[in-house]
Amino acid sequence: MPAEAPGGRLAALVRALWPLVALLALWELAGQMRWVAGGALPAPTQILYRYWQDWGDYPRHIRATLIASGAGFVIGNAIAVAAGLLFVLAPVTGRIARGLNIAIFALPPIAIAPILSLTLEGMTPRIVLAALGVYFVTMQATVTGLQQFDSRAGDLVRAYGGGKAAVMRFVQIRGAIPAILSGFRVAAPNAVLGAILAEFGGGGRWGLGTYLLGSLGRGDPARLWGIGLTATAIAGLSYALFAVISARMLGRTRAVSLNPSAPPSETREPVNLPVMLASILLPFALWWAVLWALQVPRMIGKSPWDVIDYLFLSAQSAQAQERLLGALLQTLPITLIGMAAGLAFAFALAVSSRLTPGFTRAFLPVALVTQTMPLVALTPLLVLILGRGTAVTLWITISVTFFPAYVMIAQGLAQVPRAALELPRAYGATAWRELRLVAIPASAPWALAAVRLTAPRALLGVMIAEWLATGRGLGNLLNQSRGYMDFSMIWTVALVSVLLSVGFYQVALWIERRVMARMGGG
Amino acid sequence: MSSPAGITLDHLCKTFRARGKAVEALRDVSLDCPPGSFTALIGPSGCGKSTVLRTALGLETLDSGTVRMADMGPEKATRAGLTGVAFQDAALLPWRTVAQNVALPLEVLGRAVGPEQGRIRELIDLVGLKGRENALPGELSGGMRQRVAIARSLVTEPRILFLDEPFGALDQILRRQMNIELQRIWAETGVTTLLVTHGIDEAVFLADRVAVMQAAPGRIVDVIDVPFARPREPALFSDDRFHHLCDQIAGALHGGHHAG
Repeated sequence: MPAEAPGGRLAALVRALWPLVALLALWELAGQMRWVAGGALPAPTQILYRYWQDWGDYPRHIRATLIASGAGFVIGNAIAVAAGLLFVLAPVTGRIARGLNIAIFALPPIAIAPILSLTLEGMTPRIVLAALGVYFVTMQATVTGLQQFDSRAGDLVRAYGGGKAAVMRFVQIRGAIPAILSGFRVAAPNAVLGAILAEFGGGGRWGLGTYLLGSLGRGDPARLWGIGLTATAIAGLSYALFAVISARMLGRTRAVSLNPSAPPSETREPVNLPVMLASILLPFALWWAVLWALQVPRMIGKSPWDVIDYLFLSAQSAQAQERLLGALLQTLPITLIGMAAGLAFAFALAVSSRLTPGFTRAFLPVALVTQTMPLVALTPLLVLILGRGTAVTLWITISVTFFPAYVMIAQGLAQVPRAALELPRAYGATAWRELRLVAIPASAPWALAAVRLTAPRALLGVMIAEWLATGRGLGNLLNQSRGYMDFSMIWTVALVSVLLSVGFYQVALWIERRVMARMGGG
Repeated sequence: MSSPAGITLDHLCKTFRARGKAVEALRDVSLDCPPGSFTALIGPSGCGKSTVLRTALGLETLDSGTVRMADMGPEKATRAGLTGVAFQDAALLPWRTVAQNVALPLEVLGRAVGPEQGRIRELIDLVGLKGRENALPGELSGGMRQRVAIARSLVTEPRILFLDEPFGALDQILRRQMNIELQRIWAETGVTTLLVTHGIDEAVFLADRVAVMQAAPGRIVDVIDVPFARPREPALFSDDRFHHLCDQIAGALHGGHHAG
């Protein structure tokens, strides 16, 4: 046996790597032969060559992006952990902040990037957008981590006369560290995405976003790919950094027994009208307060009331409504269709990979890379390949929805014993009946949670594609208004897209609860 | 060792309300445990025996009735460090070593851990884990973890010890071993002990008295004295008088309807 081990390990390595090698070879061939859209997909060697030529430009751009995303990461996480602690210690604050939290989670960064560039200066918009990108993930992880402590350990502390503070100190805080670290891990690429998006939407000389924007018009696919892959590498490395830190820190101190997990869902609180009202009003109050505190000129900084006035009461309101509605009608259908396709694709893959585990092994690494790739960097590449039509928007939405949905559905299916999945077939059930009896009910709550969590990202993807490529819909309206300095419309589009995103989230949550209630889960 | 204190449960009543349904967990539960005694509380699942223990520790509130320990209510008694407890789950903190887990109650009570290091070591010896002081819970077997929980329950030199099915998750062989060890520990410390269990043989082997509970509503239906001399040897498990007493308790558990 020992003599065979090295050979076995080598064979395993070869088996693990060959899909990657094959893919690279195919990519090289496709690039050299200009198979894809007349050279829109350059060969890896061409990208490397261009990279080498451009190397003088990169350090300053990378440095600017790293500083902005690093500062945003630190600030956003500090606020998020503090907020998480507060929400757990005083749950009513969490309920009041619910509207604000969902708005921050759902807001498409691209929609508020222009606003931030208008109202803030220098690096600040980038840092703010990076911080906004990490806040929700880490806050949620902190709250979950603090709430899911071992209740027996909590009882023990209380049995020796310890109060809430003692349970927090001895059990909850240390127990939440794994969850918080995994929050950091997921948040890190978000910070990079936020910083690049802000560079994109604002001024400034340096930053990968600026570099990307400046290179768009040159029609040099190799450079766009170089920038995109650099951004992906930064995001991926930041993720890996925290994966390593948490693996080293946790090591042997993992919990002895684990709770069976349910999909992450919001707990349902009794309806309390004043709290609900406060939760809805808080984001608007904050909006007002920030404008006031920063002393933003009235012409640039529009208050919630200004937006209502512009959209419904002013002389231009009819025209504004028409433009907005037209844009919405272009953006909405494509978002919904893309999400449905992404979900269906994810479901099919999850089911098939559950029944034939080897099948997905070659495919998943590629999907993983596209997920780490910041959307802004991915979009221009897809535009190069797919052109400026509807297809590109659709593909972006699918790719954004697909992967998280796949992960969640697979997680749901993993909790069903394989035997249960195959049982109907043992009784001669058709494939469809088998799906209907086991796979769909087992994964429905997870698929719905995935919809809730990916809807905002899907909208972001569509808006980026519209802004950069297709010249339609909300994204284009935002870009146009920026060009015309139509401040009222910029604020309106930002508000509408945030509301739309929150709306998606709430509808998905509502359906999820209905289904869960019917299935007796929850 | 400080002198043991008695436990007086006086007409405990408790009703849980969940989703519009009321479940009467305790009805008029009264029990007197003299200082230094070993009492077992036995009953089917859901009869409220754990609730009795949880109210005595101040983890649940009562609708009516009182718990007194050395003339103190639960809150004051636990805060004064009068009580020790071990649950069915060892509930060790996975990031603390064995010694640090044993020390946890001292920290919660705000006592200094440093001067107690020697005693913590002794307690770890007492439960047979010598040399494992710096192990993490993840490196121990289920039985070992439960022994850590027993050592932890004794670290504050309690005058009253509450045990909530501490060996419930162990297999029968390990459980016997732990029963014999627990008897030895109890004899050495002389602490007043209330053991909640659903194992009849465990209750008879360890206790001076067995209080039998029934469910819906949770109440004490019988208190049976266990006359066997101490120290009790493992051979007692196969004694006829032992089996006879076990049958008598099984009869009380089933409400006297069953003959055997």
